[in-house]
Amino acid sequence: MLNRSLLAAAALAGLTGAAFAQDAYNVGLTGALTGPAAGTYAPAVDGLRIYIDKVNAAGGVNGKKINLILLDDSAQPAKAAANATRLVTDDKVVLLLNASLSSTYAPIMAESQKANVPLIFASSVCPKTVYPPANALQFCTTAFAANYDSRAVLDFVKATAKEPVKLGLSAMAIPISRGEIDYAEELSKTLGMTPVSKQIIPPPTPDYTPFATLIKDAGANWVYSWAPWVTQVRTLEGLRRLGWTGDYVAWAHLEAENELARLKDGKFFVVGANALFQEDLPIQKEIAAAAKAAGSQYPVNQMTEGWIAGMVIEAALKASGWPANAEKITASLSNLKVDLKGLRGGELQWTKDNHFRTKQYYRVYRWDEAKAAIVRVQDWKAFDVK
Amino acid sequence: MQLAINIAVLAAIYALIACGYVLIYRVSRVLNLAHGELMMLSSYLLLTTASLFSGNPLIALGVAVGLSLCVGVLVYLFLMRRMTGEMVLAAVLTTVALGVLLRGLVVLIWSAQQQNPAQALGWVNYSLPVFGGRISAAGAGLIMTTALVYVGLFLFLRFTRYGIRMRAAGQNPLLAAQRGISLHVIYALAWGLSTLTGALAGILISLDSGLDSTMVLIGLKAFPAALVGGLDSLAGALIGALIIAAAEVLMIYYVDALLSDVVPFLVLILMLIVRPWGLFGTREELDRV
Repeated sequence: MLNRSLLAAAALAGLTGAAFAQDAYNVGLTGALTGPAAGTYAPAVDGLRIYIDKVNAAGGVNGKKINLILLDDSAQPAKAAANATRLVTDDKVVLLLNASLSSTYAPIMAESQKANVPLIFASSVCPKTVYPPANALQFCTTAFAANYDSRAVLDFVKATAKEPVKLGLSAMAIPISRGEIDYAEELSKTLGMTPVSKQIIPPPTPDYTPFATLIKDAGANWVYSWAPWVTQVRTLEGLRRLGWTGDYVAWAHLEAENELARLKDGKFFVVGANALFQEDLPIQKEIAAAAKAAGSQYPVNQMTEGWIAGMVIEAALKASGWPANAEKITASLSNLKVDLKGLRGGELQWTKDNHFRTKQYYRVYRWDEAKAAIVRVQDWKAFDVK
Repeated sequence: MQLAINIAVLAAIYALIACGYVLIYRVSRVLNLAHGELMMLSSYLLLTTASLFSGNPLIALGVAVGLSLCVGVLVYLFLMRRMTGEMVLAAVLTTVALGVLLRGLVVLIWSAQQQNPAQALGWVNYSLPVFGGRISAAGAGLIMTTALVYVGLFLFLRFTRYGIRMRAAGQNPLLAAQRGISLHVIYALAWGLSTLTGALAGILISLDSGLDSTMVLIGLKAFPAALVGGLDSLAGALIGALIIAAAEVLMIYYVDALLSDVVPFLVLILMLIVRPWGLFGTREELDRV
């Protein structure tokens, strides 16, 4: 069910943003809260909202509340552009956030540059501009990372495979997914694997079986998919329907934990940078309690991205002091270290040149039939981001 | 063999959706551009009935299909009936608006997250061996349902009182009304049946591969099948679906998977150039469009 409180918060924040402007940190987010892409972003945004509410309830940051203004762009660039303009000019935010499709990035980046306001990509894919040498105003808290993810996945495949790897690859026909799978194809060759089939699947596909047939017929014994969850899981299901018994590895999107439990497939591995909730960490219990108290209707195990973004915002505002302006916040973001309390493999650290993180950690999970539970297959493994 | 099975499943999907477009157009000359949204709504209704009748999947399925039929009838009674006698374009634009409304409502009520009606029903989509290939239980269900729907519609339109009235209303509504046929009843029935067939497609697709709001696009992809076959011909919809599905799957297999997305529309453009009224449609009907 829809989290009506999220939309209500969006509406209320929109109405009252200016009223808070003088005595609070104004932070503005444009995100896909409705529309087809909302399933990927809205749970994270709700996690962020709940975190900020918790901070405000505890007295705010430096004695001042955070006024989080949520605006819905439905993943439409034109709406995102209008939202960004409004946030900067009318609401006078000191920090911009994006939680939407990459097609919305250009207008928000332009507005951020024009107004000299820092911009954090929170739960949306990190653009190249946050990697070293980073754009001075752009930062990213999102777990997944182009190229690094494929390195981690293929590193895992190489370490796990007991026989020569014939690799099938699956992507959605969108630039980010396709580019990553092209990269993985080339990388796999350098690691001694043989890419045997690469399927670029258009998004509105009613039946994934034809694509799965080609992968199976090519003789793949491992398949790697880096795409929105729908493509990853439907390719797998297509393969299994055809009787394919190989190993399948995919990115651990927000849906991964529930889907591993639904599919109960012992040869389906998910590689991710966020700890799954089956770890039962104290911080995860805290998120669950806060989500329950807030009456959120989104699965709590899909809120990690938003929670992490909230922790980062709180730390940055704290370091900026009061009164804060965009310049001070940019400076504190460029020299930030946040303890994520086990939600990821290590702390999130940003430097002047690196606005992604200095180390990216990966963990691998799968379903264990014998234990009837999700199990960790490989613990945190760090990759330096240079 | 797997190639043939893949074509058959995709053709069944398109045929089941396309017959909904044809039913309404054939009877009332309205192009229902909200058909994909109605199909999606039915699948989401299944999610709700699955939780209401947990442990009774057949009842949940039956209620969802029944509700879909009612939705179709209600759409006519409360919305499309007011378009009777208006320009066809106005009616078509009304269906566009209805589609936008339904898309918003679905996200508001059920969220945009991916759902799995099969899991909600406690149903396992087994893989079945068929002539050396494999097919999912839902895929096999799609083929059988499509066959039953088309045979059922043929018998209904040919031999039953309301079927004959429906054909009469489609051929000449003025004369049919003068002969005592209630056009509103017939149109409501057509909307109900159209939504029902769309619901069957949507429900089976969602049982096979999950459900999210992008299902609307599948409804749109079936539209070329109806046009290629001829908008006023059920047999045409079946053949059109087969042609579009074959072109799409062959493109995936032998040329480039990326082109599979556009090939239905390429076939449609080709058909519009060569024979604008479709393979089995009539020229007179197209002029009315």
